[in-house]
Amino acid sequence: MGRFLLQRSGQALVAIFGVVTLVFFIQRLTGDPVLLLVPETATQEDIEAMRRTLGLDRALWVQYLDFLRDMASFDLGRSYIRNAPVWDILLSRLPQTLQLAAGALVVALVIGLPLGLVMALTQGRPVSRVIMGIVLAFQSLPTFWSGIMMILLFGVTLKWLPPSGTGTLAHLVMPSIALGLLSLATYARIARASVLDELSKDYIRSARMRGVGTGRLVRRHLLRNAAIPVISITALEISQLLAGAVIVETVFAWPGLGLLTVQSIAARDFMVVQAVVLLGAFVTIAANFAADILYTVVDPRVRLTKS
Amino acid sequence: MSAALAFRPRTLAAWWPAGLLAALVACAILAPWLAPMDPDRQNLMARLKAPGFEARGALYLLGSDELGRDVLSRVIHGARVSIVVAVSSVLLSGVVGVAVGMLAAYLRGWVETVLMRLVDIFLSIPAILLAIITVAVLGPGFINVILVLALTRWPRYARVAYGQTLALADRPFVRLSRAMGASTPRVLALHILPNIIGPLLVVATLEFGLMVLFEAGLSFLGLGVQPPMASWGAMLSTGRNYIATAWWIATFPGLALFLLVLSANLIGDRLGDLIGKGR
Amino acid sequence: MKTLRQGLYTSAAILALSLPAMARDLTIDLSGEPATLDPHQQWNPDSYYVYRNIFDNVVTRDNDGTIVPQIATEWEYTSDTELVLTIREGVTFHDGSPLTAEDVAYSVSRIIEPEFGSPQLGQFNSITSAEVMDGNKVKLTTKSPYPALLAQLVKLSVVPKAIVEEVGTDAFNEAPVGSGPYAFDTWDKGVSVTLTQNGDYWGDMGPFETAVFRAVPDAATRIADLQAGAADLVVGLDSDGALQLAGNPDVKVLSAPTERVAYLGWNVDKPPFNDPDLRRAASLAIDSAGIAEGLLGAGEVPMAQLSSPAHFGYAEGIAPFEYDPEQAAEIVASKADIAATPVTFATAPVFDQRVVQAIQQMLNDVGFDVSISMTDMPTYLAAARAADRAERPELSFGRWSCACQDADGIAYPLLHSGSSWSRINDPELDSLLDEARTSLDESVRQAAYEKVHQIVREQYLTRPIYQAAVLYGANAALEFTPTANESLFLNRMSWSE
Repeated sequence: MGRFLLQRSGQALVAIFGVVTLVFFIQRLTGDPVLLLVPETATQEDIEAMRRTLGLDRALWVQYLDFLRDMASFDLGRSYIRNAPVWDILLSRLPQTLQLAAGALVVALVIGLPLGLVMALTQGRPVSRVIMGIVLAFQSLPTFWSGIMMILLFGVTLKWLPPSGTGTLAHLVMPSIALGLLSLATYARIARASVLDELSKDYIRSARMRGVGTGRLVRRHLLRNAAIPVISITALEISQLLAGAVIVETVFAWPGLGLLTVQSIAARDFMVVQAVVLLGAFVTIAANFAADILYTVVDPRVRLTKS
Repeated sequence: MSAALAFRPRTLAAWWPAGLLAALVACAILAPWLAPMDPDRQNLMARLKAPGFEARGALYLLGSDELGRDVLSRVIHGARVSIVVAVSSVLLSGVVGVAVGMLAAYLRGWVETVLMRLVDIFLSIPAILLAIITVAVLGPGFINVILVLALTRWPRYARVAYGQTLALADRPFVRLSRAMGASTPRVLALHILPNIIGPLLVVATLEFGLMVLFEAGLSFLGLGVQPPMASWGAMLSTGRNYIATAWWIATFPGLALFLLVLSANLIGDRLGDLIGKGR
Repeated sequence: MKTLRQGLYTSAAILALSLPAMARDLTIDLSGEPATLDPHQQWNPDSYYVYRNIFDNVVTRDNDGTIVPQIATEWEYTSDTELVLTIREGVTFHDGSPLTAEDVAYSVSRIIEPEFGSPQLGQFNSITSAEVMDGNKVKLTTKSPYPALLAQLVKLSVVPKAIVEEVGTDAFNEAPVGSGPYAFDTWDKGVSVTLTQNGDYWGDMGPFETAVFRAVPDAATRIADLQAGAADLVVGLDSDGALQLAGNPDVKVLSAPTERVAYLGWNVDKPPFNDPDLRRAASLAIDSAGIAEGLLGAGEVPMAQLSSPAHFGYAEGIAPFEYDPEQAAEIVASKADIAATPVTFATAPVFDQRVVQAIQQMLNDVGFDVSISMTDMPTYLAAARAADRAERPELSFGRWSCACQDADGIAYPLLHSGSSWSRINDPELDSLLDEARTSLDESVRQAAYEKVHQIVREQYLTRPIYQAAVLYGANAALEFTPTANESLFLNRMSWSE
């Protein structure tokens, strides 16, 4: 167990190091932030001076060594654009991202899982097909389109919800739905498959023969055993939700990490990009790790060392 | 009418999404003959006209866009971009990903470690970052959109192929052929690939739908195909600014895109059921 | 404390939602959040829209564009290179401390200090020193005669020396203290900046108790916010977006001509536009009026020079460009071998793609082979300002603003061979531009610019197209007069009753 953990952590660190190194170099292939920072009328000398101020005139490997040294002391550097420590910027965006990811997960789970269950129990009947069709339809629209349609309907015409921004629970509703709908079908499908799988097992058959009701079966046996795939898919989805929320965040003016990433890349704010990528890599790997551990809690039959 | 059709109408009917997909593909192939006008032809005197508008003998059946171009012709030509981009990126990422996954699982050892860590690394880089970098380094354009999508998606195929191959690599028939001196490519291509192709097809079909949406998303972020080339994603992202005044600009490409993605999703779902494994 | 505060804001937000009628506060949707609120640390509109309400500038422009006193009440050239400013008495910063000549001199010295690394350095580095004289006067010394100095001082915000030195740059950026009509209240990172009225302001402060600047990146969402009543003023509207607001009695569209001149620039070192006849053909192919009125229609005016009437140095009587696609096609046909050279039209999402695509079609219609290359802004800028002039794009579309309302700000960077934007190398133009840049005699400068515009017009060195307009969407009750320099001063807005 201990050796397994150690090995895994070691590999994870190597992967994270690789990601950050790769991002460090490739983003510097794409120009620098200086031309965006200075006014249009700045001369070539002004531009060079700004480049020196930011330390971007130094050799790439010098900058890289500098970056590694900072990394080692948990210093993420300063944003060129905002002239503030990257840590502060990251921490100010994290709560928003977590809220949105949580909201989207709730939407996907609360709607997706019951739909999956219903589909499994109505397997072979038209109801099942119709539900699947609806679920897939949700997944077939670009978010930037469904997002603005929701805003116009619920925000402008009906005035039920604030059209954009953050601050209250009401603000969270539309972005969560827009983002959650993308994962909904995945959950519904997984829930359906694993419930069907369980239904075909002997203990369910014998329970049915003993006359145990469907509701009781679902509550006592099915849900518990169907939980494992749901957990593992959640681990994958969480990293997707963190990184993939860019368009939802743009449309709803939701200041999460996705929007920060896009704006920072667009401005060549290298330090911020590196930090977000680093954080993203950590979360991706940690989520998968947590999923492995959760398996053992949900189902003691699974042992970590097995994998 | 053949006997099969007569005997299993319900099964066949269940494959209507495939028919829909075929129709959209046909539309893309026949675009130059189907489209009533040049999709890029502007007419500043006929901007934002409603469906059915007629000017100088030209009928704008589905209306005109913000530069007076025929929406119908652009929707028809846009099918090409969406479908070609999605098919090419799925093929490219599928081939690369599957090869990497199979090799890693079959050869094990340091090859496995290197390849699978590479997969982890690519999974952790935000897709949008890869997109911007590709455009900045290689320049914008149609081919590079495909490249961006392939770059971000191949690790998913690698993961699936890896898992499936691991389960097969120790089977007797694989060991036997290995012992008989079959080369690695031969074993992978003849013995392993045919046994793992099913789940991969399911993934590929679902990815196809996703790629269509991704292309649209790239257009929304200004990283898609170059204007004035018609693409559903670009039409949708421009058209959403006109919902209140010219709903037709976004609605028709939106509908087409929806049908394409939906048919891909339904087919993938059906295939998954047939193979007996959801994703 | 912070959570309590946030809780209060949340409940305030809920209250605001349920009581939309009590709209005494103002909410403005910008496209992004300020990069910094320290006025000397960046140069972008989302920042200065906000901080120019927190800080006073040395001088300002009234709604007609005339330079009028703000912190400096009087100014006088004591020599060609020395300007003496008289500082307004009785102005206090938001912490109650008085604003003195010391603070003004400090603000200038801070921004021109190369070590400080302000991106705005280039706008002010012709100033070599700022000294306090006679208590309430500041003497600015420039390297050489610099006629644009006052126009630059419109953009120089005065910061409190004592506070900046005490708290340091980072803390000052988090909680800026100025002397303007609105005081900084909170900065909810990524979301909004809230300002409150400065009751002790020396001048007009406007009627708003608080004003909130929000970051809303998507233009369609900003329009929705306005229609839903969640925002009172939104920026970044185009004429087609404005159409969406038509027929809604709760909102209105405000527009004004700006100091931006939209132009088509070409690389005169490379075929096909190294050929003057083909430049003329391309010019003949472009329908300026069609673009300004037929496509845009928000008050854009066709222009035939790189200045607008809002600029010093605008020349009367420059002949408008003709539009004659048949003649253009003939010229192209007569030089088919050069004209067939493929042309890359470099652009970025920030430019109006309707105009870019319309121009592409107009040029291709007469026989050119133009394809669009759209990249993100840094990639575009790297090409547009490439070190080697020949590397700069064959074709590009720009809407230039120097935020200085002086012909120098547009003509010099676009035409002078020493500029990193210019694709032109013409000694006569260079000497005219240099003369106009360093003379304090307005009639000499005006004459030089008229000649510059004439040369550009005759040789088709660039192709000015139209004077751009700016559009805002606003609550019907908001009184606001947009200006040519696209400023958003809260104390020039009010509610109509």
